[in-house]
Amino acid sequence: MGAEPGTSETVLALDGVSKLFGQAAAVDGVSLAIRRGEVFTLLGPSGCGKTTTLRLVAGLERPDRGEITLRDRVVASASRRIFITPNQRNLGMVFQSYAVWPHMTVFENVAYPLELRGMKRAQIRDKVTRVLELVGLAETEARAGTLLSGGQMQRLALCRALVYEPDLLLLDEPFSNLDAKLREQMRVEVKLLQRRLGITVLFVTHDQVEALSLSDRIAVMHRGRVEQVGPPRCLYEEPASAFVRDFLGQTVILHGRVGRLPSGHAPPVVAVELNGALAGRTLAGRAAPSVALPHGGAAHLAIRPEDIEVAPHDPPRPETNWLPGVIESLSFVGDRYEARVALGGEYHVALFIPRGREWREGERLQLGFPPERMSVWPA
Amino acid sequence: MAGLTQALPAAGPRRIELQTVLCTVVLAVVALCVVFPLVLVALQSLQVAPPGQPARYGLDGWRAALGEPGLRGALVNTFTVTFVRQLLSLPLAVLVAWLLARTDLPGRSWIEFAFWAAFFLPPFTVTLSWILLLDPEYGLVNTWLAKLPFVGGRPFNIYSFWGIVWVHIITGSLTVKVILLTPAFRNMNASFEEASRVAGAGGLRTALRITVPVMAPAILSVLLLGTMVSLQTFEVEQVLGLPFRFFVFSTTIYDLLVTRVPRYDAATALSVLILAGMLPLVFAQQWLTRGRRYTTVTGQFQSRVHALGAWRAPAMLLALALVLLVLGVPVVFALLGTFMKLFGFFHIPDPWTLENWTTVLGDEQFLRSLHNTLVLAVSTAVVTIVVHSLIAYIIVRTRYVGRRLLDFVSWLPFTVPGIILGLALLWLFLGVGILRPLYGTTAVLVIAGVIAGMPLGVQIIKSGLMQLGGELEEASRIAGASWWATYRRIVLRLMAPTLLAVGMITFVGAARNIGNFALLTTSANRPLSMLQLDYVAQRKFEEAVVVACIIMFVSLAGALVARLLGLRGGNVG
Repeated sequence: MGAEPGTSETVLALDGVSKLFGQAAAVDGVSLAIRRGEVFTLLGPSGCGKTTTLRLVAGLERPDRGEITLRDRVVASASRRIFITPNQRNLGMVFQSYAVWPHMTVFENVAYPLELRGMKRAQIRDKVTRVLELVGLAETEARAGTLLSGGQMQRLALCRALVYEPDLLLLDEPFSNLDAKLREQMRVEVKLLQRRLGITVLFVTHDQVEALSLSDRIAVMHRGRVEQVGPPRCLYEEPASAFVRDFLGQTVILHGRVGRLPSGHAPPVVAVELNGALAGRTLAGRAAPSVALPHGGAAHLAIRPEDIEVAPHDPPRPETNWLPGVIESLSFVGDRYEARVALGGEYHVALFIPRGREWREGERLQLGFPPERMSVWPA
Repeated sequence: MAGLTQALPAAGPRRIELQTVLCTVVLAVVALCVVFPLVLVALQSLQVAPPGQPARYGLDGWRAALGEPGLRGALVNTFTVTFVRQLLSLPLAVLVAWLLARTDLPGRSWIEFAFWAAFFLPPFTVTLSWILLLDPEYGLVNTWLAKLPFVGGRPFNIYSFWGIVWVHIITGSLTVKVILLTPAFRNMNASFEEASRVAGAGGLRTALRITVPVMAPAILSVLLLGTMVSLQTFEVEQVLGLPFRFFVFSTTIYDLLVTRVPRYDAATALSVLILAGMLPLVFAQQWLTRGRRYTTVTGQFQSRVHALGAWRAPAMLLALALVLLVLGVPVVFALLGTFMKLFGFFHIPDPWTLENWTTVLGDEQFLRSLHNTLVLAVSTAVVTIVVHSLIAYIIVRTRYVGRRLLDFVSWLPFTVPGIILGLALLWLFLGVGILRPLYGTTAVLVIAGVIAGMPLGVQIIKSGLMQLGGELEEASRIAGASWWATYRRIVLRLMAPTLLAVGMITFVGAARNIGNFALLTTSANRPLSMLQLDYVAQRKFEEAVVVACIIMFVSLAGALVARLLGLRGGNVG
């Protein structure tokens, strides 16, 4: 997608935006740039400020500091006292509750924003029919909006937000009111629709699976601040902070001290001498980005459980980066085993084991921790 | 499920039968007290013989109600006053409720509280206060305006159609709507409005095209309730209408009966006509609440408020002005009135005195009435708590077949204007032989008070029980408690504040009620509320305003206590 002359690639920019509720900062100095045609996700636990950020973009809240720029137009600036009301921002938004207006039919719900834009009736009919057909709601257009099912209501809310071709589509936890199966289906539908129409989307969710599967880029938020921005895979594999690491996916953590590097490894790989029952063992891993790891300092070794290699007790593997263990509990869940492996002392690891071989509780095995998959963090 | 119930024959049915019998008894008693008297009224309208003479049947009463200009005029006046006051108060109430619930109006919780307090002001007291301001001769506003140039004399006359409408709007039409609509507006999902604003509509357009239509069922429901409530009182017309011979249905009925030769046939025929006119409202209201066509209430979503911006100051000014009119003026001027040598005459030299209070407090009539009122209000409150909680419990917690009917019958008194309910009960106690000894006792008034308070009391307890949820009781039963122990130790404990609040507002209601009692009081059981009316009839305004002031402070104190016990406008709807 090439940028047209005169327009920037950046659809939305936030520059040092803060929002206070009383004394507490719900959003604290957030800066972001959302590019044309991408799905950008704000991800974080509840109360992290992601929804407030979205509402600031929509114009439903006023920022206390900072500036918001939409397609080269400053729509909110605390210092310059600029504030464009939501109705003048040309945005589309899907609310968590869908906010399908109960006194209007499906058709009227979608036609409303077009009417506000002074469109002719014939043209409205044409556009509404087309967008309803796009999501398979054409037959329901005469029905009251609130008589639809959850999934249909969501499609309707989506139609209503897309029909006037907004510069940016805002999605506020749109899947959270759907059951698990429907959620998955809608996720795929939204992704296909987005690719087809090439719209830019700002998406808010607390669900990491949704975020990872839908987004081109994700901003993980924590306590009103952006912790890290990047493509899903990058965040998952190279988290920039302990918060991002623990929030996304499962993490196995082992404790130790930064020690001497075993032969055959070179920086940025760091060696960690384990504590407690595993004293004497040394594992190596990559140093986490931009952290200081002084020799002898307390350290955490982190790895995704699915990156741990599993091997039978025999034949023995090399000492480096392999640990022996005993299967404490084991449950067969169909496509794989769920296991809890005791490594000795307080160390336990919960992980999945492929069902290629039959395993039993009490069986001894060896776990491999590949250095390129391990990251080392200051404790 | 059906198979299961059939498979268990012996154990269940007997207990269910006992419960059914008890519930049926309750339903029968409630129906006897509410529906039967109304049937008697309808029958009585065909009985044309004067009282004391053998019964003779005919259509004279109906001929009079439909034909006599005075009576027909009363019907027309009733309709016009009701229509005009609803028409004027509804848009204002919607605006105020919207400001209180959906905007950042400063001090909105205090303003809402002021409307709540104003709702409890006795209409009679408010009427007297406004006489001080708007009397055509000595009214303060008129006196002030007369001093200004360009104003031709004294423009206002409270003894007029517009005077009556004005006092009605102040005393009830506006406040009841505001306290019912504000919680409804507050519970609306804010996303409805936000979605519209993001879609491109401004604040005003969103209010007109989204907020008001979404709220339309609630607004309509409140309009119907407000119309029914507006027909409960008759003291405003009795005080303000009589001097210029302006009658509505209630004052006409009173006039027809409180004379030397009462005309029961005409009065009852008029009552039946009014009740028939209420029927469409009753059905519309039931239809609106049954259907629940829109689900506007979504508890899990935070309700966010609009910034008023530049409109903050004007909105604030409007709200404060309204609070001043509905609460400030009535309280201040009622109190001032009690200290006046001559009610309303501010311009005489040295107009102030304490004598009214000493006269009234020393008056034997007053002391007897005070005693009657205390006995009446306390008994009504106690009986109400027992009876209304029983009815509410049957409706909410049992599977009794007739619970829907019980629900409807217990709500029915809401739709029966006070004076007509009084007339119906009068007929019950005069017409049914074994009940006749009760006539003229306080017990009659207690029964009237319990019935009149039934719609509100049952409604409040019902919503309390529903919030309580059945699981708390079931857990207690499973833990080993009997039904009675569960009721005593779980339900009663948790419901105590609600029940006390209901008792409190019933106490207040009984202390200030005029419409229901007007036809049921004799000199033996006359409460304070009727005494003040008698004082006015004797043109003793100074004494009347003292009594009115006492009732007002009792009402405000009761309202405050009920509020502290957790009662809010939302429970009332």
